[in-house]
Amino acid sequence: MSLNKNNISIFFLIFFSCFSFSQEETITKQDSTKIESLEEVIITATRTVRQLSSLPLPAQLISKKEIQSVNSSRLSDILNEQTGLITVPDFGGGEGIQLQGLDSQYTLILVDGVPLIGRSAGTLDISRVSVGNIKQIEIVKGASSSLYGSEALGGVINIITDNPKYDFKGDLNSRVGTFNTYDTGLNLGYKKENFSISTFLNSFKSDGYDLNENDALNTIEPYSNYTLSTKLNYNFNDNTSLFLSGRYYTQNQDYIASEDLKGESNVNEWNTHLKLSHTYSQKWSSYFEFYATRYKADEYLNNTDTSRFSDSNFNQLLVRPEIRATYNPTEKSAFIAGLGWNHETLTRTDFSTQPEFNSPYAYLQYDTNPTEKMNIIFGARFDNHSAYKSQFSPKVALRYKLSEKLAIKSSVGYGFKAPDFRQLYFDFTNATVGYTVLGYNAVTTKIPELEAEGQIANIIVPLSEFEDELNPENSIGINIGLYYNPISSIKLNLNVFRNTIEDLIDTRVIANKTNGQNVFSYYNVHEVYTQGLEFNSTWKPNSNLKITGGYQLLFAKDKTAEKAFKNGEVYARETPSSPSFQLKGDDYFGLYNRSRHMANLKVFYEFTTLNLDANIRGTYRSKYGLYDTNGNAYLDTYDDFVEGYSIWDFAINKTLYKNYKLGFGIDNVFAFTDTQNISNISGRIIYGKLNIQF
Amino acid sequence: MNTFKFLTLVTLFIGFTSCSNDDDSTPVLEIESETVSNLQATQTADYSTNPPTITGDYIKFSFETGTTTTSDNWDIAFRGSTIIVNGGEATAADQPIRTANAGAYIVTGTLAGITEVNTELFTSDSSANGLAIPTGSDNGWYHYNPSTHIISPIAGKILVVKTNDGRYAKLEILSYYENSQPNDDLSNSQFYTFNYVYQPNTGVTTF
Repeated sequence: MSLNKNNISIFFLIFFSCFSFSQEETITKQDSTKIESLEEVIITATRTVRQLSSLPLPAQLISKKEIQSVNSSRLSDILNEQTGLITVPDFGGGEGIQLQGLDSQYTLILVDGVPLIGRSAGTLDISRVSVGNIKQIEIVKGASSSLYGSEALGGVINIITDNPKYDFKGDLNSRVGTFNTYDTGLNLGYKKENFSISTFLNSFKSDGYDLNENDALNTIEPYSNYTLSTKLNYNFNDNTSLFLSGRYYTQNQDYIASEDLKGESNVNEWNTHLKLSHTYSQKWSSYFEFYATRYKADEYLNNTDTSRFSDSNFNQLLVRPEIRATYNPTEKSAFIAGLGWNHETLTRTDFSTQPEFNSPYAYLQYDTNPTEKMNIIFGARFDNHSAYKSQFSPKVALRYKLSEKLAIKSSVGYGFKAPDFRQLYFDFTNATVGYTVLGYNAVTTKIPELEAEGQIANIIVPLSEFEDELNPENSIGINIGLYYNPISSIKLNLNVFRNTIEDLIDTRVIANKTNGQNVFSYYNVHEVYTQGLEFNSTWKPNSNLKITGGYQLLFAKDKTAEKAFKNGEVYARETPSSPSFQLKGDDYFGLYNRSRHMANLKVFYEFTTLNLDANIRGTYRSKYGLYDTNGNAYLDTYDDFVEGYSIWDFAINKTLYKNYKLGFGIDNVFAFTDTQNISNISGRIIYGKLNIQF
Repeated sequence: MNTFKFLTLVTLFIGFTSCSNDDDSTPVLEIESETVSNLQATQTADYSTNPPTITGDYIKFSFETGTTTTSDNWDIAFRGSTIIVNGGEATAADQPIRTANAGAYIVTGTLAGITEVNTELFTSDSSANGLAIPTGSDNGWYHYNPSTHIISPIAGKILVVKTNDGRYAKLEILSYYENSQPNDDLSNSQFYTFNYVYQPNTGVTTF
């Protein structure tokens, strides 16, 4: 299906007019808020407001209170402290999130329900998101493509921004820390009966840091970024409301490749989000949503004589209209259905074309409570796509209350990740080494071109293999969990998970070049799985003290590799240049960058009489391998590993005269660094913070 | 008494077998196991042309002498990460002329574990089918890491070679860097260190 900009506007108009039509048949609304606000609620899991505790899916909430008490400034800071989540530095400099052992490209990141884009090499850099205007962060684990489509393979992280309180309110935040890091934020909000508006401004500057003083480069070069976001809510009447938001983000960073090559890299991003909600009756309501976002990244390098050495750019656009309706036939059940269209374009250096993706989709979900003790959710989504195979993503989830204290949750879902533009359209030749990487769809035109230029020595994979479409990476995710509250002050939960991923996209050699190098392209090959268990506990012995602990056990393995080890086909060396020997089945460690054990412990204490709160948080990660060090292309027990480590943070905050809050803290108290292997741990950070509310 | 009988028999047996050896008049030569360190095989590349122009001498090696050679009695030759055999035909104009019928194949195993030569597997260099020891990352003996740019010999890859005079050798490449340690800018690459086992007896296909 093809779509141009005119068609989008037609699509937009049709739904708009449908909407205005239906608006006229409004029935007087009764109070439809079925959930009392005392309980923690979550919206990401079902796209309806649900009590966290009644949900059949593994989910986690991070509250504004927690974010403020630990004085986080970027999304990466706070997510790193959660059980089973870890940020992993990318070679491009960004930090992506690993969830249930799955790479960052398999976790969808949303802001107020709509996705962030800009994965130039697969990773979405979450350090670009400021947490200064966040109400809560919702994390849903397990494949969620039944509601969200592509990328929601491992899970979904949804950042819910704060809504203004009544009247004119605001707060000013300033945090100053090690490495000349200045984080300044301003929140302004205004609200009267049916209207509210809020604006958030953030400026973040840092000198970066250098873990290796011996070279001309810094580990992180100095950078600065600004975020501006505005949100508007207007209730036309009791039944119809409009939500409008816009966000702009810009970052500038020095880009230094060597002593002689210096330049800059810039990121510019904007998002606009419009949502019209309308309630027809107690049973029916509908939403029209329009979302558009653009992510641009440009970088250049200059020679010492200021002549241009290299330029590269990345410019992605996503436009998405969506309409959805909810229908509640009874108090105990709810339907939600949606229809939408993704339109995506990209211009990028080293691309064979200027690709365009179009993908209409539809989804339906039924959420029901057949008995007092049971909640079942059925959901399915269909994504049609212009460039790869259409996807049908079903999901079913069940929660059963065994007793007042014990509940069991289980869910099975299908998740997928569409091949990205790079995997389809890349056309890149390394200038110094001479190898070539081609996107899957570029192969059939580019190989004959290279052949005509006399660059191909022989073709290894025949071109006929590239006539079919590349499959999206897809997975079946299973989660089974027990939720136990032995007494009201203790909450325990245990979740066992397994994600089986098929058609993982990897590169392989498709032809040899006459210069002795290879032509690589992408193909569906690997079957990998990640499985393990997650344990979370919370203990609140009194209203001042809260202790939480979490643990994740993880096995992440490639099935083909597992087989190769069992069959004795894998060899290793003790040192890089010692003779090879044969490895056994249990010598296979698993995928790179996965730790078998991760744990955290947090203690929060409030000194009520002193208006003081303090906390100590520790996270632990066991050893992991970054790459093969003994020449067999697999991670085995004889490889060099990055040693396990723990990081301890401390924060204390004091409220003065009700509206002033002073904070002080030390992140990474024991100044842990691993300069060789871990580029995103900078060492000890001491900071102070001031918050003024008005 | 029994012991005496036994010893006599053993003595006779030994005498007999050694006699038969003498009659054969070809003494069994001992299998040679050696290590070659830091064999330098430098190539330079000129990237101003497309495709880049690679230059440099192929460094020829003879298993019989266990050293590099400039004569025509070479078995294999090295330049950069490329290894050619003295058999078949040149695949590029600047390669040495093939003077014999040498060949090679790559097998997975340990150097000690490969004890038999499979003569059916040998191929020679060919302009149609490429080199007997393929070039390129993961095609032949090495893996190229695109992020660190380090070339590392793949563990468990044993090269079995038929020499220019029809004898057999097996070798395992251990390192591509001088003193087996890549330096920071990788400028000490193109230095081969390898272990080899040479069967000096004609027609013997075991090691």
